[in-house]
Amino acid sequence: MSQKPRRRPASNETRRPAPDTDKSRRGARSHQITFESRSRAWRRHHGQMAVDSLQRLRRRPLSSLMTMMAIAIAMVLPASLWLALGSAQLLDSNLDDSARMTLYLNPALSESQAMDITDQVRGERDIASTELITAAAGLESFQQRLGMNDALAMMDNNPLPATILVQPRSRDPKAAQALAERLGKIDGVTDARLDMAWLERLRQLSELGRRVVLAFGVLFALGVLLVVGNTIRLAVESRRQEIEVVTLIGATHAFVRRPFLYVGVWYGLGGGILALILLTLGRGWLSAPIDMLASGFGSHFTLPGIGFGGSVLLLICSTMLGLVGAWIAVSRHLADISPR
Amino acid sequence: MAMIEFAHVGKRYGGRFEALADLNFTVQRGEMVFLTGHSGAGKSSVLRLLMALERPSRGRIVVAGHDITSLHVSQIPFYRRQIGVVYQNHRLLFDRSVFDNVALPLIIQGATPQDARRRVHAALDKIGLLHREKALPIELSGGEQQRVGIARAVVNKPAMLLADEPTGNLDPQLSADIMRLFEDFNRIGTTVLLASHDLALIARLRHRVLKLRDGRLIGDEEAA
Repeated sequence: MSQKPRRRPASNETRRPAPDTDKSRRGARSHQITFESRSRAWRRHHGQMAVDSLQRLRRRPLSSLMTMMAIAIAMVLPASLWLALGSAQLLDSNLDDSARMTLYLNPALSESQAMDITDQVRGERDIASTELITAAAGLESFQQRLGMNDALAMMDNNPLPATILVQPRSRDPKAAQALAERLGKIDGVTDARLDMAWLERLRQLSELGRRVVLAFGVLFALGVLLVVGNTIRLAVESRRQEIEVVTLIGATHAFVRRPFLYVGVWYGLGGGILALILLTLGRGWLSAPIDMLASGFGSHFTLPGIGFGGSVLLLICSTMLGLVGAWIAVSRHLADISPR
Repeated sequence: MAMIEFAHVGKRYGGRFEALADLNFTVQRGEMVFLTGHSGAGKSSVLRLLMALERPSRGRIVVAGHDITSLHVSQIPFYRRQIGVVYQNHRLLFDRSVFDNVALPLIIQGATPQDARRRVHAALDKIGLLHREKALPIELSGGEQQRVGIARAVVNKPAMLLADEPTGNLDPQLSADIMRLFEDFNRIGTTVLLASHDLALIARLRHRVLKLRDGRLIGDEEAA
């Protein structure tokens, strides 16, 4: 098909209209289509479609804003849950002490023997810190806390064993359990106790939180896809005639899809920006009562903001969702629109 | 050299209705041929097959040496860029100017804006509507709209021009004008295949006529 049609010699001589000379010039040029000129044309069309689709959105500001708002709302809930989970983790990282284990030593051991065992424990793997509480020190703090000076003073000898407080390096309960068993076998250690239940509960809670965030995230991402998909479907329907015509004169699917994909991108980006605004407003709205509440408990807890990294991530997510939603809708409906 | 070659082409719709049956004909490069017959004779099916909108149920269609019945879906747009098609209802886009309508094929092919402007102006000049380039199609008369449709079909200098009842909605004087345009393009080497049932007009123009009835070729009269 790239060959030029043979011209009739007679007509060439008798008549040579302007398009004819034009044609022979074009014939030579069409062989010079380079990769560079094609990619320039491709970029030009991308640029045109990006601007054109934005102008189309601006021509219907209210309905565009409503679509973006729907996307923003769908983004805000999982994002704020994620932030809440982040602050919960912040909270539980302050509860490191709870992973501590206690080694009870044989009461018959002398103080220097207890120190030797402490050194031995400190030499073990996976241990962050140790603290020896001698029998005497234990008794003293016991007396102070309970105010039972008299009762204990009546005893002949100190009933408390020396203890070693061990801070394991790992917060994983299984590892902590294994460590406790290992330390329990050390000569002179009668028992190694670990508050497993508390640690396990904490882990389950944070696992639950993660799953809730994930479930909401997936659900609301689907919601964004549906919102964008439905809006794009209407846009495709309203430009049906145009799609048919450009398909008839040789537009590729990519060419037809392009303006709609940009519409999806703008919706996603706009929705993401609105979501950031909502999150900021919401944080401002909640921070005053939370500060009050926290200071009531003597804590300095403040609501975490989404931060720069989080904002970028949210915008990337919302834009990608817009793009994917548009892609699905256009591909589905392009198949329906075959030129008639 | 053959531009269009139909070899034993059959087309069934829905398994039963036979729109075309064992159709054989050849159109040479640079020829102008009328395709005629009553409605339902298969004129539109022939054009739809040539535009690669449909594939034949049987047989082979070769255009400019390429078997278009075996074109991959991804190749069809590039095939369509090399044929110009004029429709009875001209299929202009009413939300954009005459210039933008005619420029559409060039934009799809990625022409530079300067090149596109030059070629659109040449095409509009040829059809005598250069002064209306900024008008919307709705502001034009039926005959002018059809001429814009023709300008769009020829703006990228296709080797083959197809037309489906291009004068179907026009009065005889306008029809004759439109036909003269097709003849002009044919004179500079474009192969033209024109479906029409306006027998009086066809008879006056003295070109080869292919007659269809019930999906079969019943007449192939060379230009008198």
